Amino acid sequence: MSLMRQIAWLVLAVVLAALVGAVGLSTLSLRELMQTQLALKNADNAQSLALALSQQQGDAELIKLLVSAQFDTGAYEFVRWRDAKGATLFERSGAAPQGQSPGWFRELVPIAARPGVAQVSSGWNAIGAIELKSHAGYAHDALWLASRRLLAWLLVVGMVAAVAAWAGLRRIRRPLDAAVAQAEGVLAGSYGQVAEPRVPELQRLIRAMNAMVQRVRDLFEAQAGQLLVLREQVHHDALTGVSTRKHFLAELDAALQRDDGPVVAGLVLVRLRDLAGLNARLGHEVVDDVLLTVVAALQAYPESVPGCRVGRLNGGDFALWLPAEGVAAETAQALADALRASLPAFGPGVQVALGAVELPRERPSNVWLGEADAALARAEHLSESRGGFVVDVMAEPGVGREQGEGLWREQLREAVALQRGRLVEFPVRDRAGQVLHLECPLQLQLDGAHQPASSWLPLAVRARLTAQVDLFAVSLALQAIAADGRARCINVAPASLADAAFLPQLRELLGQAPQAARGLLLDLAEAAATEHFDRLLELGRQLRPLGVKLGLEHAGAGLAQVEKLYQAGLDYVKLDASVLLGVAGEAGRAAFVRGMVIMLRSLALKVYGEGVVDAMDAQALWDCELDGLTGPWVTASGGV
Amino acid sequence: MACPLLVLAAYDAGRVMEAAALRGPRVAEQALALVQQIERSGTQDELQRLKDINDFFNRRVNFREDAATWGLADYWASPLESLERRAGDCEDYAIAKYFSLAAAGVPTARLRMVYVRARMQGQSLAHMVLAYHAEPGAEPLILDNLRPEVLPASQRPDLTPVFSFNTEGLWQGVGQVTAGDPLARLSLWRDLVAKVRSEGFL
Repeated sequence: MSLMRQIAWLVLAVVLAALVGAVGLSTLSLRELMQTQLALKNADNAQSLALALSQQQGDAELIKLLVSAQFDTGAYEFVRWRDAKGATLFERSGAAPQGQSPGWFRELVPIAARPGVAQVSSGWNAIGAIELKSHAGYAHDALWLASRRLLAWLLVVGMVAAVAAWAGLRRIRRPLDAAVAQAEGVLAGSYGQVAEPRVPELQRLIRAMNAMVQRVRDLFEAQAGQLLVLREQVHHDALTGVSTRKHFLAELDAALQRDDGPVVAGLVLVRLRDLAGLNARLGHEVVDDVLLTVVAALQAYPESVPGCRVGRLNGGDFALWLPAEGVAAETAQALADALRASLPAFGPGVQVALGAVELPRERPSNVWLGEADAALARAEHLSESRGGFVVDVMAEPGVGREQGEGLWREQLREAVALQRGRLVEFPVRDRAGQVLHLECPLQLQLDGAHQPASSWLPLAVRARLTAQVDLFAVSLALQAIAADGRARCINVAPASLADAAFLPQLRELLGQAPQAARGLLLDLAEAAATEHFDRLLELGRQLRPLGVKLGLEHAGAGLAQVEKLYQAGLDYVKLDASVLLGVAGEAGRAAFVRGMVIMLRSLALKVYGEGVVDAMDAQALWDCELDGLTGPWVTASGGV
Repeated sequence: MACPLLVLAAYDAGRVMEAAALRGPRVAEQALALVQQIERSGTQDELQRLKDINDFFNRRVNFREDAATWGLADYWASPLESLERRAGDCEDYAIAKYFSLAAAGVPTARLRMVYVRARMQGQSLAHMVLAYHAEPGAEPLILDNLRPEVLPASQRPDLTPVFSFNTEGLWQGVGQVTAGDPLARLSLWRDLVAKVRSEGFL
């Protein structure tokens, strides 16, 4: 029984005991009083009757008359005149009148008053004794009335006391519930603080808990801060602060692999020409300023568009990844315009060439870089003849949908409505090669073929269909889990999280298959934690009791910036390929990953790695003590 | 402390001596004489007991008004109190004799305290005597302090009986009585009986 219920029962029992005790004791003492008073009345009445009878000179008729008169004018059970030997000479007695008190009450608290006895004499002669007894019925009525009135009053007092106790309990309960919720939160990995109550004992408890939570937060923040520094050192160019070549290439690979990007994307290369010559002419410091100016122009894009990446490939070469269709050309032109305005300040001979490509994202990264390099080379060639700022844009013709978007959207709606689709499965394995769970991206049947998410997800986001798509995927996963009992993981789009109807429908769906729900994992992008943090908390609160596990996917550099990660109550984090690629070859990257793992472990989160492509990296990641890996290498090799 | 003293309804010489000892050695001495007298009388016939007890108190207790003895208009003293003061008025004699006789084994049904009108030298005064009825309806013997000898009622034309009472029926139905019960002390007689019981008589 819960503490509150025990206290409530205790209070009820005490109030009841006090009530019953008070009524019982009062009734008993009242009965005692009435019994004594009745006995005294009997004795006094007998005495005064005897006094009167003693004055009648032993006239029996007169005595009988007086006895009758006394009996008739009073409330007597009997009045008896006995002779000296005890034989009754005359007696008047009558049945007790019907009282108001019920029979059970008279039996429960009987009033037994002694009869009164007094001696009667005639001159010197003793002529017997008078014995009389009053009716107790009236006393019973009075006792009954008094007990009832007392009970009624005490009931009122008891009810007032119960209401007061209830209010008091509620007052205690609120902080207690908060403390319990906080403790449960800590158990679930959510380190929230609660307001201190005014009850001293609870105040101390909550203060201790808050201090503990604060310490965990401080620890976490210190680790996160260290990681940020480490990340700056490992992933970023010391001078310009943009990604290093190695890191940019990893980011590019990851961006090409992820399934929620656009079909067609763009890449812009920017080259500050003749860096060696500039160094010689203008000096290192001025050239550094020139480089910073170029980077400042480039940084405007990632700062305003999520998913954009900037990297310094080497010396004076920079790259800008644009995760959007049809913007590469105008971005390159805009960049050229911006640089044309700012660079002449450093003097003549500062020349920049830009090459831009727009390609389907399914092309491998070496194709992307090759095409972009070719475009840049053409621009440089042109600038040889023209000088100044040259832009060359190469877009592959025939990219994009042949049909209009409207038709495509119709097909998407139909596929979701008719539930035409399937889950493909990629294992996440632990170090021993055991499958931890299956990552199950959804493929929808469009145009008669099963299409991966990368081909329809952007459209689904625009058409606000993600919630239905995600629910469809969850229902497929639940069916599959029910069939073979293996845990499965589904991606949930941040856009679905923002949809108010999504969570209730998801709950209902899970409620229909409570057994399978225990084997379900839901992946959310980092963006879900940064943009919809409250929704994420609510999701965790509602789904955790059903046994569903929640985690972040594609977690990378942004993770350290997720405010209140310690409060989110997640189960696992999947590290993005951009962080993991190439760990085997570079100690700094491995150190960063190790730092991430330690930080996330301290929050009781499991850490998985995404997009592992070769055995070297896999070994390095196992050395970083990740809990599980996924990716092409894991799928192909079985993880060992 | 108002602890109700439970008193068994029986004569107890030991308790009488204890109660007397509390009142001082002089009272204890008197009480010892009384206890010895009661013991002696217990073996004799009732008439002899009447005479012995009547003489015992008539000899040892001097007549004095309550106002002089106790400073009260009327005070009913227990036998030990009368012996302590060596003084008493008419009802104190009757009381002392009643309880001593009861202690000596005379059934209380045969004893009656009687309010009488006494005529002395042409004056009428309220008086109290102890009457002994050997049989119900028989002529009683009168134990009085005005005339020290025990006489039948017919030889006391100076006395006119008015009303009589005794302890019969007073405690009927209960073997024990709480001497501390305030309601049991509502009349002089009840108060006295409770006091006498606590002193070990009756």
